[in-house]
Amino acid sequence: MTVRRGSDRPDDELIREAVGGSTPAFTTLVRRYENTVYGFASRVCRDREKARETLQDTFVNVYRKLDTFDGKSRFSTWLYTIVANNCLMKRRRRKIDDLLESLDEAPTGSGKRQPRFTEWVETPADLLLTRELRSVLDRSLKHLPPDYRVVFVLRDMEEKSGAETAAILKISEEAVKSRLRRARAFLRTQLAPYMEREQE
Amino acid sequence: MANCAEAYRFICDNLDEKLDSPRCRRIRRHLAGCPDCSTLLDSVKKTVTLYRMMPVPGVPSGIHETLLKTVKKLTASSHRGDAPQSGRQKTRRRPGGHTR
Repeated sequence: MTVRRGSDRPDDELIREAVGGSTPAFTTLVRRYENTVYGFASRVCRDREKARETLQDTFVNVYRKLDTFDGKSRFSTWLYTIVANNCLMKRRRRKIDDLLESLDEAPTGSGKRQPRFTEWVETPADLLLTRELRSVLDRSLKHLPPDYRVVFVLRDMEEKSGAETAAILKISEEAVKSRLRRARAFLRTQLAPYMEREQE
Repeated sequence: MANCAEAYRFICDNLDEKLDSPRCRRIRRHLAGCPDCSTLLDSVKKTVTLYRMMPVPGVPSGIHETLLKTVKKLTASSHRGDAPQSGRQKTRRRPGGHTR
C-alpha cells in the first residue's frame, strides 16, 4: 500500500480530515494555498499590511467555515471568494465610478486627420524592469475602484475565466464583462501618457 | 462594416478571444482598414501584458511563520472549544460540528 505524503493528497481528503479536527491536514491546506491567497490579496489590496491581515483573516474564516464547504465548486474558487470578501469593503459611490462608466464610449478625436491614439512602445518586458513603470502600474491599479480592480485581477492577472470570476464574486458574467471592459479602458488611459512619452 | 465605436467596445470586451462570429469578422475588417483602432487594440493588449508580467509576491517568511502559529493556536483552541477570534469578527462555530 502506498502512503501519500500530506502535500500529495487531494484537497477534498484534507478538508474532510481538517473538519474532523486534524491539525496536520489543515496545515497542509494552509501551506498549499498561502501563496495563492497572499498573491491575490496583494494584487487586490495593493498594500502589504492589508494583504497580511487578509491572509490571516482568510485562513481563520476558512477554518471556521470549513464544514460548510459543499465541494460543489473547487476549493480554490471558495478561497478566492473569501479573500475577495475580505478585501472588498462597502464604500460610497465615488466620482471615479462615473468616469469608468464614461469609458464605455469610444473617445472622440479633435479632427478627422488627427489620430486619437498614439502608438505605444514595443518592448514592455524591458520597460517593466524600470522602477518608474512599476510605480505607474501600481498607482493606476490603486486608482481603480475595488469592485473593478478585483475583476481585472481575476480575469487578466490571475487568468480566471469569465464564468469562474462570476462564481467567485457571485455576480453575473455580464457584470464581469462590463467591469472588465471599463477597468481595461481605465488602465489603458492611465498608462497612455507614460507609454507614449517613452516613444518620443 | 463596423464603425470605430463598435470596434472600441469589442476590443475592450474580447481582447484575446479568437472568435469567428460574423460580428468578429466585421470588426477584423474594420481593424485592418483603421490604423487608429488597431493602435488602440495594441495598447489595450500591452496594458494587460504589462500587468500580467508584474511579479506576484510570495508570502514573506516572517508572515508565513506568524500564519502557522495562528493556525496552531486556532486548531488547539478549537479542540478545547474556545476558538480564537480574528481581528474583526466573532467566532460563530468551529469545524468538526459534523462529518461529511
